Amino acid sequence: MELTLDNVKKTFGEKVALDVDTYVIHDGEIVGLVGNNGAGKTTMFRVILDLIKPDEGVARIGGVATAHSEEWKAVTGAYVDSGFLIDYLTPEEYFDFVAKVNGVSKEDLDARLLKFEHFMNGEVVGNNTLIRNLSAGNKQKVGIIGAMLHNPQLLLLDEPFNFLDPSSQHAMKYLLESYNRETGATIIVSSHNLTHTFDICTRVTLLEHGKIIKDCDKDYPNLTEEIEAYFIHNS
Amino acid sequence: MNFSRTKLLYKLIRKNQKLAVRRHPMLDQNKAMKIFIYIMAAFWAAYLMFFGIMFGSIDFGAFENFDMIDGGMIWFLVLDFYLRFTMQETPAQEIKPYKLLPIKQNFLLNVFLIRLGLRGYNLFWFFFLLPFGILAIVKFYGLLGLLGWLFGWWLLFVFNSYWYLIFRTLNQRSWLYLLIPTAVYAAVIYFGMFHDSGNQWLFDGCVQLGRAFCMWNWWSYLCIFAVIVVLFFINQRMQRACVYREIAQVEHVEKVKSTEMSFLNRFGIIGEFMKLEIKSTMRNKVVRKQFLTGAICTLVFCLLFAFTDVYDDMTFMRTYICVYCFACLGTITLTNVMCMEGNYIDFLMSRKESVLQLLKAKYYFNCLMLLFPLLFSIAPIVEGKILFIEALGCMFFTSGAIFPFLFQLAVYNNQTLQLNAQITKSGRSTKHQMIFSLAALLVPMLIMYILIVVFNVEVASWVMLVIGLLGTGLSHVWLRNIYHRFMIHRYDNMAGFRDSLNHD
Repeated sequence: MELTLDNVKKTFGEKVALDVDTYVIHDGEIVGLVGNNGAGKTTMFRVILDLIKPDEGVARIGGVATAHSEEWKAVTGAYVDSGFLIDYLTPEEYFDFVAKVNGVSKEDLDARLLKFEHFMNGEVVGNNTLIRNLSAGNKQKVGIIGAMLHNPQLLLLDEPFNFLDPSSQHAMKYLLESYNRETGATIIVSSHNLTHTFDICTRVTLLEHGKIIKDCDKDYPNLTEEIEAYFIHNS
Repeated sequence: MNFSRTKLLYKLIRKNQKLAVRRHPMLDQNKAMKIFIYIMAAFWAAYLMFFGIMFGSIDFGAFENFDMIDGGMIWFLVLDFYLRFTMQETPAQEIKPYKLLPIKQNFLLNVFLIRLGLRGYNLFWFFFLLPFGILAIVKFYGLLGLLGWLFGWWLLFVFNSYWYLIFRTLNQRSWLYLLIPTAVYAAVIYFGMFHDSGNQWLFDGCVQLGRAFCMWNWWSYLCIFAVIVVLFFINQRMQRACVYREIAQVEHVEKVKSTEMSFLNRFGIIGEFMKLEIKSTMRNKVVRKQFLTGAICTLVFCLLFAFTDVYDDMTFMRTYICVYCFACLGTITLTNVMCMEGNYIDFLMSRKESVLQLLKAKYYFNCLMLLFPLLFSIAPIVEGKILFIEALGCMFFTSGAIFPFLFQLAVYNNQTLQLNAQITKSGRSTKHQMIFSLAALLVPMLIMYILIVVFNVEVASWVMLVIGLLGTGLSHVWLRNIYHRFMIHRYDNMAGFRDSLNHD
């Protein structure tokens, strides 16, 4: 699923949160958005998902302007923060609800949840616990699984490695890579963890004060060193 | 700790406490609520002043006015005690952010406890006492006597605040501790006023105390002050123990049993949203309280109507009760339409037409709830107090006119309701919500009343029924219209929901 940002600008008061001329993410890419706090990563996600209105420009998913149609929602999965969780449900109820509103049958849901078994590590389901009573890491897992349950062609995850223990971070990396391989879906993840980002992404985009200052494929020479040098100099 | 440092820390804590009140998220985000609170406070102050002037002017015959008020001292203290539960926190809760600072815990506790005694709320009753005293005391004891009397009463309210704090703290362990002050008050009032009509020692004692205040009797102040000091140290010990309990507090993790509610499966996605609505009501403190309040109001009105004759001869009240029985639950819950969903608005907005399905589910759920008042109204129908068509007219008018009106709030509501906060802290009632809820209860009642006066009950009921049936039948049209308007306002609403969301 191709994603395009055309001349998108968003300001909060005086502060420019996002200022992108043209940004195209192609079908099947795994893109890592990196940047310091306030670089515009979450704002970009929210503009793409039509959760905030850009001052200028348009975001398109599969050629459909996200602000003007709801058709893109069926092929998109996202987890940005706890605003995506219905926290008075148990994880099982939440998955069941997500599956039903996305037209996924009970059998398919059970089959899909099996794929997340290793990621859940026995801590998420089967405890009769409401989502609001889960640890931050397990809430994150519920949100990520909920975003992937309907096999979206475009998956957006904001800081998916946050709150996860090292084992779950590795499971997460494996999950994203295999999901991309099996479905050919486009995946965009934002992260402060450069190692994980370089490990799984086919393309890395560096944001600073809302602007894209570097955007290259993984095989770009010395990409890791350049990006690491950027963060060292900006520390 | 030297004096200047003590003074500085005291000032800092005082400043922080004031900022905490001024910048409370509920008030910070919600100007209408802020104005509403000020209006309510002004209303109560005016109300108390009115009573103060009234009691100051009444002729009590054998008793002087101030003797009557002083004699009833215990009633003021009881009322003041229970009113404090709505607004006074414990120091152990407030001390938490200061725990790691290089300040002695005892000093902090003392500051918080002294602030508790000196807080403005202890002067609240002066809105009553001051005008009363000017009228009733100055003429006997002069201005100085009035000052002494007010000072004595202030000491009593300070005493009450420390007495209250003991039970407010114990209440955190179990609500059963509240039975202790209740039993104490009941026993004191019974034995002091009602047990022996010839010996009203409580009344007489309080009268003497009041007179002692007027005459600046130092013993009277010293006695109360001594009790305050004792209570202060009891509280200090209790709070010291509570600080650790507060810090080490482990959040209670609820274990829930999932319920399938398969009977709703036949309604497809709307059924799923209806399940969500039911679970939200069952599992969220604020939603549950709202629902129970509405249900209890409905039940009480129905029972009053069915089994008493208090409203039998009053057309206006009869209309009021009939409309209110059906409309009150929906009005209480739908005034906050979308506010609960503000907690997971991003989830809803990232799925096609989820909000529309949600609105439909809410509508059907509330329509189903109307069957309960219909059931309750069987008794007044059988008793012949209302006509069956009247109950039916009110029910359909609620689903076809009042609900569409209240659902308009889905377009304007943009403050997230904290699902498990205390009711007072959950963040509610914007300007729109207040106007809509008042109109939802008053306008239908007036329409029906006018129709009854102009025609008769039967015609009025039929008109209500026809309007209601039309609105109910066209629900899919107006719900979609609301959804479209919600989508036009969505960016502002989402921003409002996010800003008022408590992520803790």
